[in-house]
Formats: sequence, C-alpha cells, structure tokens
Amino acid sequence: MKKYWQSLDELKETPEFLDSKKNEFAEDVPTEVLGRKYLTPNPSPNGEGSEEKSGFSRRDFLKVMGFSVGAVTLAACETPVNKTIPYLFKPEEITPGIANWYASTYFDGHDYCAVLVKTREGRPIKIEGNKLSKITHGGASARVQASVLSLYDSERLKGPVAKGSETTWEKVDQEITAKLSAGNVRILSSTIISPSAKNIISNFSAKYPNTKHVTYDAVSYYAISKANEGVIPSFNFDKANVIVSFGADFLVNWLSPVEHAWQYAQGRKLDNGKKTLSKHVQFETILSLTGSNADLRVPVKPSQIGTAVLNLYNALASMAGETKLNASGKVAEQAITDSAKWLWANKGKSLVVCGVNDEAIQTVVAAINKMLSNYGSTIDVENYSNCHQGNDAHFADLMDDMKNGKVAALIVYNSNPAYTAPCFADAIKKVGLKISFSGSMDETASLCDYVCPDHHYLESWNDAEPKQNQFSLTQPTIAPIFNTRCAQESLMKWSGVANPNYHEYIQSTWERLLFPADLGFTEHWNESLHNGVAEIIPVIATPSSPSLPQGKGFNQAKAVHEEQPKGEEEAHGVVNKMSLSECASIIAKDKGGDVELVLYEKTGMGIGNQANNPWLQEFPDPISKCTWDNYITMNPTDMKDKYSLLERGDYMGDVVELTVGGQKISAPVYPQPGQALGTIGLAYGYGRTSAGKVAKGVGVDAYRFLQWKNGTVQNSVSGVKVSDAIGEKHEFACTQTHHTMMGRNSIVQETNLETYTNKPKEEWNPMVAVAMHDSTANYHEGPAAEANLWDAHDKPGFRWGLSLDLNSCIGCGSCVISCSAENNVPVVGKTEVRKTREMHWIRIDRYYSSDMNLEKGDEEGKGLIESYREMESASENPKVVFQPIMCQHCNHAPCETVCPVLATTHSTEGINQMIYNRCIGTRYCANNCPYKVRRFNWFEYDKNNMFADVNPATWANDLGRMVLNPDVVVRSRGVMEKCTMCVQRIQEGKLTAKKLERKLMDGEIQTACQQSCPANAIIFGDLNNKETQISKHYDDERRYLLLEEVGVQPNVFYLTKVRNA
Amino acid sequence: MNCFISSIRQFYLKSFFLFTFFLLVVNFCFSQADGEKIFKQNCAACHRIDGQKLVGPGLKDVASRVPQPADEWLFKWIKNNVALQKAGDAYANKVFNDNAKLPMLVFEGVLSDDAIKSVIAYMKNPPAPASNVTAAAQNAALVTPQQNTGESTPYILFIVSVVLIMIVIILGVVLRNLQTVANAKKGLPPLARLGVVKWASNHKRLLALIGILCLVLIAGATYQALMEIGVYQTYKPVQPILFSHQTHAGKLTINCVYCHSDAEKGKTAGVPSANVCMNCHKAISSGPLTGKVEIAKIYDAVGWNIETGKYDKPQHPIEWVRVHALADFAYFNHSQHVVVGKQACANCHGDMAATDVALQNSPLTMGWCIDCHRKTEVPGMTSNPYYADLHKKLAEKYKGQSITVEKMGGLDCIKCHY
Repeated sequence: MKKYWQSLDELKETPEFLDSKKNEFAEDVPTEVLGRKYLTPNPSPNGEGSEEKSGFSRRDFLKVMGFSVGAVTLAACETPVNKTIPYLFKPEEITPGIANWYASTYFDGHDYCAVLVKTREGRPIKIEGNKLSKITHGGASARVQASVLSLYDSERLKGPVAKGSETTWEKVDQEITAKLSAGNVRILSSTIISPSAKNIISNFSAKYPNTKHVTYDAVSYYAISKANEGVIPSFNFDKANVIVSFGADFLVNWLSPVEHAWQYAQGRKLDNGKKTLSKHVQFETILSLTGSNADLRVPVKPSQIGTAVLNLYNALASMAGETKLNASGKVAEQAITDSAKWLWANKGKSLVVCGVNDEAIQTVVAAINKMLSNYGSTIDVENYSNCHQGNDAHFADLMDDMKNGKVAALIVYNSNPAYTAPCFADAIKKVGLKISFSGSMDETASLCDYVCPDHHYLESWNDAEPKQNQFSLTQPTIAPIFNTRCAQESLMKWSGVANPNYHEYIQSTWERLLFPADLGFTEHWNESLHNGVAEIIPVIATPSSPSLPQGKGFNQAKAVHEEQPKGEEEAHGVVNKMSLSECASIIAKDKGGDVELVLYEKTGMGIGNQANNPWLQEFPDPISKCTWDNYITMNPTDMKDKYSLLERGDYMGDVVELTVGGQKISAPVYPQPGQALGTIGLAYGYGRTSAGKVAKGVGVDAYRFLQWKNGTVQNSVSGVKVSDAIGEKHEFACTQTHHTMMGRNSIVQETNLETYTNKPKEEWNPMVAVAMHDSTANYHEGPAAEANLWDAHDKPGFRWGLSLDLNSCIGCGSCVISCSAENNVPVVGKTEVRKTREMHWIRIDRYYSSDMNLEKGDEEGKGLIESYREMESASENPKVVFQPIMCQHCNHAPCETVCPVLATTHSTEGINQMIYNRCIGTRYCANNCPYKVRRFNWFEYDKNNMFADVNPATWANDLGRMVLNPDVVVRSRGVMEKCTMCVQRIQEGKLTAKKLERKLMDGEIQTACQQSCPANAIIFGDLNNKETQISKHYDDERRYLLLEEVGVQPNVFYLTKVRNA
Repeated sequence: MNCFISSIRQFYLKSFFLFTFFLLVVNFCFSQADGEKIFKQNCAACHRIDGQKLVGPGLKDVASRVPQPADEWLFKWIKNNVALQKAGDAYANKVFNDNAKLPMLVFEGVLSDDAIKSVIAYMKNPPAPASNVTAAAQNAALVTPQQNTGESTPYILFIVSVVLIMIVIILGVVLRNLQTVANAKKGLPPLARLGVVKWASNHKRLLALIGILCLVLIAGATYQALMEIGVYQTYKPVQPILFSHQTHAGKLTINCVYCHSDAEKGKTAGVPSANVCMNCHKAISSGPLTGKVEIAKIYDAVGWNIETGKYDKPQHPIEWVRVHALADFAYFNHSQHVVVGKQACANCHGDMAATDVALQNSPLTMGWCIDCHRKTEVPGMTSNPYYADLHKKLAEKYKGQSITVEKMGGLDCIKCHY
C-alpha cells in the first residue's frame, strides 16, 4: 500500500513530528489568547512561550462556560432581594427621578462661563450654558462641559495634607497661623474675579501686613492690558463686519471663547433671508480652529506677525493720511492690502485682534483699532473683562524675591506654577512656608508643606464679576464629597475669623457693596441666585464716592484696600505707554529663526488644569482629530523637504528631538497642513507628571519652552533645533484618518457668498438626481427624493428632525462632550481609539481642501488613479470645513432592514430606535450604515478592569459612576449603540406638556448637542409642524441631505456652508 | 422462585398505584394553585379566605354553610348571583340582605366554568392561615425573600415520581436479566417476552407518536418555566416594619398619593419618607394590629423621642425590601400613567386596601404592558390640548375605531427602552 506523507518530517518520523502528532490542533485555539490577555491580571511578557503555560485550554473554556451557564440559570430562579432606602426626612425640593437645576458659574482662572447644573438626587450630572447670561448666551465649551467629571475624580485630595501625610484641619490651621507672621507672605493665584475673595485677601493682608497678592495666569494676556490702559477690553465680534485676527484663536481659546463664538456666529448666520456675512481674515502660524473658519487664512511665522501688523498699520495710515511707521519688510502683501481695504470700508464696524502677548505688537493693534474708530463700537473699554488679570512683571518680581530668599511664606491658590512656569520649581526651594490650595496633589502641591484642598467649584459658594458690572454667582450643587474646605474660608480662618462661612460672607459683601438696603436685599439676592447672573451697577463705584477712580468698577475699587506692590497706578499694569515708533523698532528687532516654535492651547485640553479628565483626553482635537496626545505639528511640505520625515500619517509618527536652549525633549511629529512653513507647534496641557493616572504619561510638557521677551511671557520661540527622526515610532490615536472629500460633493456642500446671493439655487445646491424609468421603461434623471424602495413610515404626531447649519458650526466640539455626558458614553482609552472603537455618538468630521481635482488632473494629463492619489493629500494651506455627524435617523434606514432580530426599527415619531436589550451584536447594521455612526460595545467598559484607568464610570469606581445619567442605560458588551436624538429629553419634554395639558412648544425640547452649541448651529424640532424653526430651516434653499443619492432620506439635514470669499 | 416473582408483581402493582396517586396529587396541586391565583385576582378585593368580613363575608367554611350540594350552589352563585337571587333562592337573598344589599360582581363571561370550579376547590381547601405575622414581627430585621412555594411543590413531586418509576423499571430489567442468566445456566428455556414488550413491538408507530407527544409537552413546559424566570408576580417579601396597607388605605381610606406622592410627579411612586409617617404618627403611637411594636420602629428610625417630643435621638434609615423592581433597561413613568393616562393605582397594583403587606400584583412583563397599551384609550385625550391635533388626525384615519395607546405610538420600542 502506498504511503503519502505531508512533510519530510513525517517521512523521516522525526521526534518533533511524533510530538506534534499528539496535538489535535496545530495551533492554539483563540481562547488561549483570550485567557492569557484578558483573563489573567498580569500577562506574562515572554510572549509565545507563556501561552502554553497559561493552562487555559479549550476544554477548560468549555467547562467554565458550562458552569457559568448553569450557575446563571440557577441564580435566575431566585428572587433577588433589593433594598430600597427612602429619605428619613425628604428635602422638599427633591423628588426622586426628577432633576433639579441650579444656576452657577464656572471660572477656573482661565475660562469663564455662566452655567446651569443639572442634579439628580443631589448629584450634579450635567453642565449646560445659562441662557440668561449676557456674556456666554447659553453656550458652554467642551472644557466647561467636562468639568462635572473632574468633580468625581477619585484622585482629588481627601483632606488636608501636611508634609505628605494626611492631617486634620485643626492641626493645619494651628501650624500655619503660627508660622505666617514670620515674614513676607505672598499669595500667588491665577486671576480672581470674585469680589468677595478679593476682599478676603485684603483682610488677610491687613492681618499680615507683609502680604502681597500676585496674579499670574498660565497663559498670559498681560500685553493686551498694557496696550489698553490697564484693562482688557470686551471685544464684540457680532458688531464687526470685518474681523482681522493675528494669531488670536478667539473662537475656542483666546480671552473669552464661548462669548466670542456666540458673537461670531451672529455674523455668520444666513437665517431669515439674510444675505450678508462678516468677513474674517486670519494671519497665524498653527492651523487653529479660528483660522480654519476664516474666509482668508494666511500662514505666517510668529516673528512675522509683528511686521504684518505694522504693514497693516501702514496700509491703513496711508488711507487715513497719518504717518507711517518703519516696518522691516513686507509680509503677505496682497492679504494685507485687501484686509486694509475691507477694514477701511467698514470703519467702526471692524475689529483687529492679536493673540501675541507682546506689548509692542498689541500697542500697534490698539492703534489700528483706534484709527478704525473701533473703540466704543466693537471694542468696549467701559465694560472691560476681568477674567485675565495676570501680571507678568509682578510674577517675575516674585520669582526674583523667592530666589533671593525674601519670601517667608507662599500661598498658591488655583494655580499650578510648578507645571506652567519653567522657573518656579527652582525658586520655591528658598521659601520657608509653602501652602497650596490645590484640590489634587498636582506638581505645585507636591512641592508644598501644606496642602489645604479647596472645594471643587460645584461644591462651593463664590461670586464673580467677569466683566464690569456683570456679576454672577456660584452655588454648591452637592455637599463636599471629601474633607475639603473652601480656600476663602481657609484664608478667613488664618486671618482670625473663628467660624468662617463664605456663603454668609458673600451675602454680606453683596449687601454692603452691591445693593442699597432700601431695595430689599433678600429679593435681589434670591433673584440673582436663581438667575445665576445679574447686571448691577455697584453703589461703591458711583462718581459720588470721591476715593475711587470713576469707571474702574468693583474689582478696581477693591484694589484700594490692597497694598499693591508698585503703587496703585500699576495695579492693572498701567505703565508709561510705549510710543508707536518705539513699538516699531522693538518689532523690527525680532529677526526670527530658521525654525520657530509656537506653543498653543488645544480646544479640549486648554491649559491642562483638567488633564486628569478622561472626557477631555479622549476628545478628538477638532483640527488634528488626535486623542490622548500632544505632538509637534509640522507642515507636510516641511517634513518632506526639511527633515526627510516620512509623512506616516495619523497612525504612526516619527519621534524627533526638539532642542531649545538647554531644553531637550523628544516628541512625535504630526503632519499638519496649513502650518506655516518653517514653524512647528506644540500644545500645552500634556506631559503632566503629577495630575493622576489618566494624564500620566500622556504627551510632553510644552510650558518649559515659554520665553520671557520684551517684559512679557511669550509663546513663540525662535532658535529651535529639530533633529531628524531618531528612529523611534509613536502611535497616534486619531478618529479621522481620511482628510479630503476626494471630489465628492454630497458630503459637505459649500459655496461662496457671491454665488449664493446672485445665482439660482440649482447652481450651488443642485437637485440630487438618480436614474429612473417611467412606465415605458424610458430612462431619465429624477430627484433622488422620489426614488423610494419602501413605503413611508406613518408619523401622525411628531416627526423629529435635526438641522445643522454648517455656516454657524465652528467645529469646537462642545457637542461631543455634551453628548458623552448626557448619554453615558464610555471612554475607551488610546489603544481602543486606535482600533477605531471610540464610542462618541456625535463626531465632527473635518475636511481639508486639496489642490487636485479630477478636471485639473485631466488637463494635466494625469490618469484617474494618479489624480485620485493626489486628491488624497491636502493643500499646503487648505480650506477647512467641519461637519458634525450623528445618526441621521433615516426614514428608509438601511440598518433597520438588515437587523435579524429587529433591534433597530423606526418609531412613529421618525426616530431610528436602537433597542439594546434586543440587540445580539451581529453588527450588520453598522456595516450597512452609509454614515458610519453606529458604535459597538466591544467590552463591558463599565466592568472590565482594562478600562478602569480611563473610563470614569466603572464598577470599581463608585465616585466616577456618580456622573452617570440615570435616565439612560449603561450599555453592555455586545450591543450596538448610537445617537437617540436624546430621546430621554424628548420623552421628558412631551410628558411635561401632557401633564400641564398644553401643546408642546417649539424649542422646549433641546438635544444635548444643541443645548451646548455656543453658535446655535444645531436646531431640533418637529418637522410636521410648519411653524417650527426647524421647518423654516427645512424650507431653506441651503438645505441638503448627506449622501442624498443613496436614498435613505434622513431626518437630519444640513445647511450649505457659504464662505465670504 | 414463583413466590419471588409474585412479590415482584405485587411491587409493580403497588408502584402503579403509588404513581397514580402522585399524578392525582400533582393534578390537585395544579388546580389549587390556579384557584388561588384566580381568587387573588378576582375575589380577594372583597373577600378574605379566612373568617373575617371585608366587603363581602369571609369565606372560612363556606362550603358547610351554603345549601348542599355546596359545589353546585357555589358554582351558580359565583357564575351569576343576581340570576340566582331572582330565581328566588332563599339563601342567596339572605346573603344579599346580610351584606348591606351590596351586590356581588357577576362572573359569567369573566371566568370560565373550570376557573370557577378551581376557585371553589381553593375556597374549600384554603392554605393554612398565614400565622407568620407574629413570628415575622419578632424577626423583622431578618429580611428574607418569600416566594410563593405553592407552585414548586408539584414539580418536586412530579420529579420524585418520575425517579421512582425509573428505579422500578431499572430494577425490573435487572431482575429479568438475572433470571435469564439463571435460566440459561440451568438449561431452562428462556423467559417468554413480557406482555408490555410484545405489545410495544406490535405498536411501534403508536409508541413513536406518544414519544413525540411527550417531547412536545416537555418542551412546552420547559418554555413556560423559562418564561417565568425573572417574573416575580405575587412576590411579597417580609418588610422590616409590618406596615398594613389594609389599615391605612382600607380602613382609614387614606388616598394612595398622600404617601406615594411622587407617583403624580415623577417616574417612581416612591417609598414614602419617614417624615410622611410622622405626620400622623406623632400623635398615633399605637395601632390596632401590632400595638406599639411596629410604630416604635418608625420612632427609632427618625430618632423621635416620645418623652421630649423632639427628634433628638440617633437616626437609622429604614431598609425596606423593594417589591417592584423593573429591569434597568425598561423605563416606566408613574406620572405618565397616573396624571396623563388617569389610571387608577389598582389597575396595576391590585386592591391594596385589602392587602396588608405590599406584593407585586402584576407580572410586570413586557407582554403585560403591551396588552394594556393595545386595549386602553387615553382617557383625557379629547380634552387635553396636547393631543388635539394628533387626535383629529387619528380619528380620521381610524374612523369609528377606538384610539388606543398603541395607535398613538405607544408601542414604539424607544418610548420605554433607552
């Protein structure tokens, strides 16, 4: 009989072959891997070898499974005993299951926002904007939204700490008061806008006469106040027809972003037949969110911004007939000439802003605005902002004093200079007594002797005067979770108040200074507390009180009590003003360098004070779409030409060494189209060493490169050396890896203002046609809307829809965080994001324009494949569009037809409903979705230990779970999820109307994304009712449907973007 | 040998009777369980199974006091007591007059004949009266879930009987084999085939049919049993304080929403907070059923000091055992049903005025919810302006039909699951 053999081994019957013959499977079954990777707590690093040793075979797996199935079945037969523990004395205002809302104020020393806090059974679970605010108008940024999660950070300090060990408040107070009177005391804080807190500090100074209060902001705006006579004016972007910005990212970072975003959107809306748009020109280095919204964006190096400002001054001066200044060369000549032309034509209705913290440049900018008569119209000096009072000069003095051992005691409040100021860690060594009010053991707190943790703002009383005569109140929405004490009370205690009560103190301050007694204080106080905001002209600042400078307001009034370091006139940085020619010569001195570095704030992370917040870490940067990272941004052209770095894209980056002076770090390079050539960017907020487990090891620290230049702290550095790739690779986790639309026109539709106003709709928003045939089988083109495979669903009552105005949308992503908070969206961590498993229900797609298109390729004789390949890469300075995408709630939803278990169906109100408890996880629906908006739960994110460090809402962390919205299910492993149009809000809104026996009002129900949008770009409503705002948007000529040609007929629609260019 | 074999025969005979007895018991238990269920759903609102009078007379020893044969008379009475009165039945008229001339409901068309019979069976053989009141009062802190064990007994008996039968068969087979071997050794002819086996080999098709039928029945029963998992109808746990709904809602006629006030506001009806109890119990420190014992527990919880008349003692939250626990993935809102839908509490919770300790009256299954949504109209629909447009549209669409919750979209998955 013939013998067939499979291998030489078999023929020779080697011992290896005989061994292997005993095994049933040549390779281990995948359960082996499962067992090793996920079921054992510490996977062995030995790789392959350890698989065999793990001893978790297929049979074991079956045994375990069989046992579990049996156990579960048995367990299911018994009635579980649940306890229900009602209140003994129920607070009158609490009804279990019904949310209470409190008006409050968010201010972290950097961002101000008037907010409403939603609490359920005494737990704050959601932050929303306060529509009564005349500053923020109901918007809320991503950082403000995320702040509720920081409240439940398990790494907050649980009580006072003395020399690294926990102690009691009594001991701390005793020891500190004993030591305080020893010598010079310095209070170092970020900007304080609370009149009461300022009062307390001045009382403290009275008790310890050697006290000085130094205000220091991580990102300083000192130069603006120096150029504007000591104040930072309010900028009114809504009143400006032409906006020219030099590196000011005013939509998400600069000064008061939520306010500016609302104002900016007013000028960009085309509602109700409006046919005008504001014009926005941006000169900047990195591609900022603001720049990406600009009609004309000019990339310039940081060293050129001063020259560009001078050029603009000169161009305007020649029109105004004033003397020109000396400018060293010309920058972006055409853009400057055009800008000058547009600005001059809109004198008094224009605005020039600048984000560089340089006094000379800011002085010239102020002069430009003066020349354009913008003061008094678009720039309001009377109602100036108090939110950024940081004084670089005072901080520098303090550092000197500390280094020279002149400071006996330092109290750090709401500031983390050890992280944000490069020189601080050295300087603090010579300070005798170091006290921090930090709520967590941050970089500064860990250098301090005593940490007296302050409340989180949601646990605390406070007041604020963000702008002149605009007041707002912070009220506690939860009892302090830990044994913390409000910093103001600590200061009061140390000033000798026996039983400090900050709440009463604020009330008495307000009663004394803000409300004349005859007006009835209690009513005023209650109303202010209810509204959260109040516009008050303080009694103390009336012209009749002679000791106070008129118009200097409440905060200034307080300054009288304070002993300022260098006399009253310098309290707000009023110094001898630079003349314009001096400015010009200072600007001319900046010759720049071959490579210049710009440090910038990311939209999510900002200055990094919330780095331990997983929502913000997983928040995709609106421009780069990167999560959990910072990186060196570099123009792809530079990468190719200068460093021969491969543009590895969004998945993997080359690590390079960055050297400035003596500082050297290694960081990955991220290809960023639009970045000015010869420059690189690096974001603040990362590389935290002592923020907590979430922030640990994420990114690199950028603050160390801040430079002291011309009397201010500046964020641009020349003389930077970037090495070639050092051979290391860095993994990025980006949520979008395709950057251009590849010539498709049914994704984002855009046109320009001229075409929009003058041409018929067919030219700029043509009907989407598909091939059809009539009864005689003649083919013709017909509207896609009429090509129906299925009958329409009956929607007798409501038909919910969402409209997204691409003209208003600035791409800030506040909706993403809002949605996560509202809908219990889990955080999955960097590894999972890299596997495209992020769970956000709403994403903001960002597309760059490309230099290539099919027509151009054809002209140049390029083949189709070659053209498409070139269309994949963005222009060197691309135009950018943002498009929020969530479930489109299709009327003919492709997901519904493929679900084998009917877990996703259509409701009678037009919602594509996803029923988790019915879903068996085939993922057919996700595969069939043209918009890719469905998210699959690969794990039990709330129970799996793999995610314990990143996902706040795990069983392991009772504290983090408190942020969950009890009206929304926490989804389990193996089910699909997606946007529900906030059905819990719809149901709640309808029920309220039903119970009150009235009709549902338009705008009464707002989705989470809509509520948080500072630009009001999202409108939710009933499409069956012709009177609603959304129906008006539906009839707007700009309306189009995403991928209309596929015929799924979404209930979500978009309004065409119109550029003013 | 013969003697031995006859003893075996005897054993078979005995086990046959035993098995029949088991079947009877099983059957009886089933019918009694049915009867109890029907009684609780239909009769318990007015009648107590013990001697105490509620709305109608207590039913203890009812069979001995009605005209004989009791079954026949009771059947007629329950089916249509009005007809029985009109027919001039003397006892029927006496009962009517003795009970304040309150007519009893007519169950003709409501309950089937079999159902009525099982109720009668239940009334004649009621379960032992719940004597655990005092015992539980002493052990109130020891909270244990109590499931209705009445239904699990027949299953156990059934299983035991099956096992016994199996043993008998196996023993029989073993015995036969032994005898075959013994015969072979002795050189005797092999045993004749048993009659059963002969019969079986002649009726293979019939056997197969019976086999399939058995399998179908078992599968059906298994399915039924599985569907009962997680359904805790009649769940009535012992509570830490023996609060009597009957006393409060029944005798004192306190409105349900006086205590469960959240039912009109929010999604949960809420276990009342102890300060609501104290509204009355500041003054009432002794009750009719348990005297001071149970009310003292409230005082202990809220820290009320009877002597000083102040809340100056330490407080301890009361850990009630949750009776109605809807699955997390189902959203239910009380106010929607109570305020908008104007549903009476009893529609789901049964007559709490007749029940001491709270129990889960309804199955709370999705099928139960949907059944109601299919049948029920929203009472205030025509008068509530919220529904005005919708009602007009639906009235046109479903001309003449009643507009139920279902037709208004009340079966949309996402209205409860999100």
